[in-house]
Amino acid sequence: MSCFYLCYLCDVMTRLIWLRRILWLGLGLLIIRLAQLQLVEGAMYRDLAEHNRIRVVPQLAPRGLLLDRTGRRLATNVLSFRLAMVPQETPDPSAVFTHLSRLTNTPAAELSRTFTRQRTLPFVPAPVLANLPKIEALRIEEVRGKLPGVLIEPVVTRAYPLGETASHLIGYLGQPSADAFPILKTYGVRPYDLVGRAGLEWHLDQLLHGRSGGELIEVDHRARQRRLLGFRQPVPGESVTLTIDARLQALIERSFGSQAGACVVLNPSTGEVLAMVSRPGFDPNRFAEQDQSAIQRFLDDSGSPLMNRATSGAYLPGSIAKLVTAIAALEHHVIQPESTFECRGALRIGDREFHCWKRDGHGLISLHQAIQQSCNVYFMQVGRRVGLPRLRAEFAQAGFGHRSGWLMDEQPGHLPSGRLTEGEVALLAIGQGQILVTPLQEAVMVSAIANGGRLVTPWVVAEVGGHAIPPPGSRPLEVSRRSLETLRAAMIAVVNDPQGTGFSAHSDRVRIAGKTGTAQTHLPGHTHGWFVGFCPADAPQLAMAIVAEYGGSGGGLPASIAKGICEFDA
Amino acid sequence: MRSQDDRLLWGVAIALSLISLVALRSASATLNPSLVWRQAVWVAVGACAGWFVSRVAYFRWIHVAVPFYALSVLLLVVVEAAGTMKLGAERWLTIGGLSLQPSEVAKLATACMLARYLGSRPSPLSLRSLVVSGALASWPAVLILVQPDLGTATILWAVWFGTAWVAGMRRRHLAGLCLFAVALLPVGWHVLKDYQRARLLVFLNPHVDPLGTGYTIIQSTIAIGSGQWVGRGWMAGTQNQLNFLPERHADFLYSVIGEEWGFLGSCVVVGLIGCLIWRAVRIAVKNSEREGRMLAAALTSWIGYQAVINMGMVMGLAPVVGIPLPLVSYGGSAMVTTWMAIGLLQSIHRFGIR
Repeated sequence: MSCFYLCYLCDVMTRLIWLRRILWLGLGLLIIRLAQLQLVEGAMYRDLAEHNRIRVVPQLAPRGLLLDRTGRRLATNVLSFRLAMVPQETPDPSAVFTHLSRLTNTPAAELSRTFTRQRTLPFVPAPVLANLPKIEALRIEEVRGKLPGVLIEPVVTRAYPLGETASHLIGYLGQPSADAFPILKTYGVRPYDLVGRAGLEWHLDQLLHGRSGGELIEVDHRARQRRLLGFRQPVPGESVTLTIDARLQALIERSFGSQAGACVVLNPSTGEVLAMVSRPGFDPNRFAEQDQSAIQRFLDDSGSPLMNRATSGAYLPGSIAKLVTAIAALEHHVIQPESTFECRGALRIGDREFHCWKRDGHGLISLHQAIQQSCNVYFMQVGRRVGLPRLRAEFAQAGFGHRSGWLMDEQPGHLPSGRLTEGEVALLAIGQGQILVTPLQEAVMVSAIANGGRLVTPWVVAEVGGHAIPPPGSRPLEVSRRSLETLRAAMIAVVNDPQGTGFSAHSDRVRIAGKTGTAQTHLPGHTHGWFVGFCPADAPQLAMAIVAEYGGSGGGLPASIAKGICEFDA
Repeated sequence: MRSQDDRLLWGVAIALSLISLVALRSASATLNPSLVWRQAVWVAVGACAGWFVSRVAYFRWIHVAVPFYALSVLLLVVVEAAGTMKLGAERWLTIGGLSLQPSEVAKLATACMLARYLGSRPSPLSLRSLVVSGALASWPAVLILVQPDLGTATILWAVWFGTAWVAGMRRRHLAGLCLFAVALLPVGWHVLKDYQRARLLVFLNPHVDPLGTGYTIIQSTIAIGSGQWVGRGWMAGTQNQLNFLPERHADFLYSVIGEEWGFLGSCVVVGLIGCLIWRAVRIAVKNSEREGRMLAAALTSWIGYQAVINMGMVMGLAPVVGIPLPLVSYGGSAMVTTWMAIGLLQSIHRFGIR
């Protein structure tokens, strides 16, 4: 036993010595390697370090294309030239800038400023001038021998062939923000790369940007390539097909003219976004070119051209809210379709007088006529009978006051949360007062009336890299078939009856159903004009919501835009 | 019977810490000069913690190994669930403004736990003991692996392997283990994240990805090589000062030492590590009590493995896996736990049975 114990002791001792031997062997190998690197090859490495002959030449991957549903190119790439400078190879930058400013007609101070902002590591070329015309690029290339450290790099630039068309949906590119950069860096993004900053360019950036590649080269003292140390092939981004129709989109944008506003056109049965317009628009090409003065103009513009009003513009709905009020009243059996109320031109609640838009009054009218002629007094009376809790619940159920499930930036709008006075409840029933909705929410709501009671989730990406993206689901709107029939018949009358408020949307080619709205704003005399509707009325293919910001009445421009949309395919 | 401290071991640890501060002063000059002061605080805290640990008998520490081990596993689970994102990996736990790296705590706890378990098993080790001890090391190791931190996970397995070997691993088990490891390679390859695979491929050929990980290896090799005999001088390394070296304050600090202090300076660091290993093994040999020996063996494997892999990685001899150089690389948790390991070694020396 004791002998065994002693042997075991010896064994542990031996094994400890072995542990030491192995670790020492490792350290010995390290010393051999140190000797190899520092003593044998030291002179070569010293040389490499002193002259820093290693240069990274990044090659950006072309971004994925954005196509509309028919394959038209919304975003593509073009080849352009860029002037860059390698900081460590430019001992006297100011002389080079003076020379360059003569060749490119750009002030030397501006070149110097860009260079200072863009430089990162001594051996990484810092872009100084983007989008160089070919002729200037050639001229510089000819005299490059006299300009140490100057490079002409061919670059792939993002281009949007249709200009402003669908600019809010597409979004724009920009240099990564300071807080997003550390994360993007792990995906291979470099400080001067452009990344998506808004819209689909931002939302799909991961898919679109691909993977940049580049070369690691050793150069001689005159910056000529001596040896290729490594190469990584850039991988282009995926191309993405959208559900929108660029022709329809452009048509709507044109018909807005200089009027600010927004329009959403959906396929009511699927929720596909066929067009999403926000006016005024901007040209995303200016961002791809990094045209700072144009970008600054967009940012300073009081008309907010960069804002997507279709999803982020929250407006008073005005009379189009009456559709939801009508659903609430019918579903809670507060009224029957044939119930009548009398409109004497105004309604007195407490000590306040609320006017109908028709000061003479509509007389004794039914729900059908009240929708057709948009009678305020009728709906104020109905709204008071429905009561705030049920009215609010119905608005929320119809998708107001919360996000619709849109992929990108979206405002939830607003619904009143606390107690309201009698008068405020009456106003809420006609879409005035404490309620704000977005055109996208209205388009979803009117789609539900068109498709028989399904609230669709709007979506816009149809295919990525040739693979179809499954559309998001929909949820039911609790409403009876009978109520919907009543509403649809009234909405057809709005457009097709000469007495209807939306008669200017009437078309001989296609039967349109709709509802106009004219929302009072805080600016007296200025109203938002609304039109929501769908067509063809008996088998809806398109559902739309159009708002003209401070654009008068809904029966004017919005109704005529709706007519144009409905006649587009018919 | 009580004996004195191992003064040489204290000296080696202090020397490495001072080298760390001097090298860091240069490495952080164009990066963030305040790193030196923070590291100095960590050295002071670590030295005090090490001193305190050395004053308490090591068997008392081994006595609390089980709750300590359980706590460290719990911390790893917590950091997995709620860890803040840093450097793309969830490794830190922020408590009252202090960032704690639970994987560092796990190294110390696992070393104590293995010492306790293997110290109570007879030599030669049965298959059962080998498997149980392997599981004890693998539990935290797998939690660290999914963080993802491949380097630290391999440290735990290295500690286990070293300790189990000293505890009396049978030769046929050793052979079986090697076969098992080879068989596991393809599976492991599948489990690794893309960037980890890239790093391993880059180790085999740095020119595979010269713009990514390969760039670091190429530049650190140039830095070390350019040091030649006596180096380019403190604060005078161009690779370092001109930002060619990424991560040079942390895992790549040794490349700054190589560049600025040359072959002689680099060999001093290797020599100090060698000396540390010598003293640690001597402490284990001198102690005749099994648990103490196992603990010393575990700590030796830990520090030795980390040092060899870190310096190898900087010189392009090992894959870049994010393992710090003990007592040298920047990092508070690592500095304090390594000093505590030195304290444990001192305790084994002081309270050991001859």
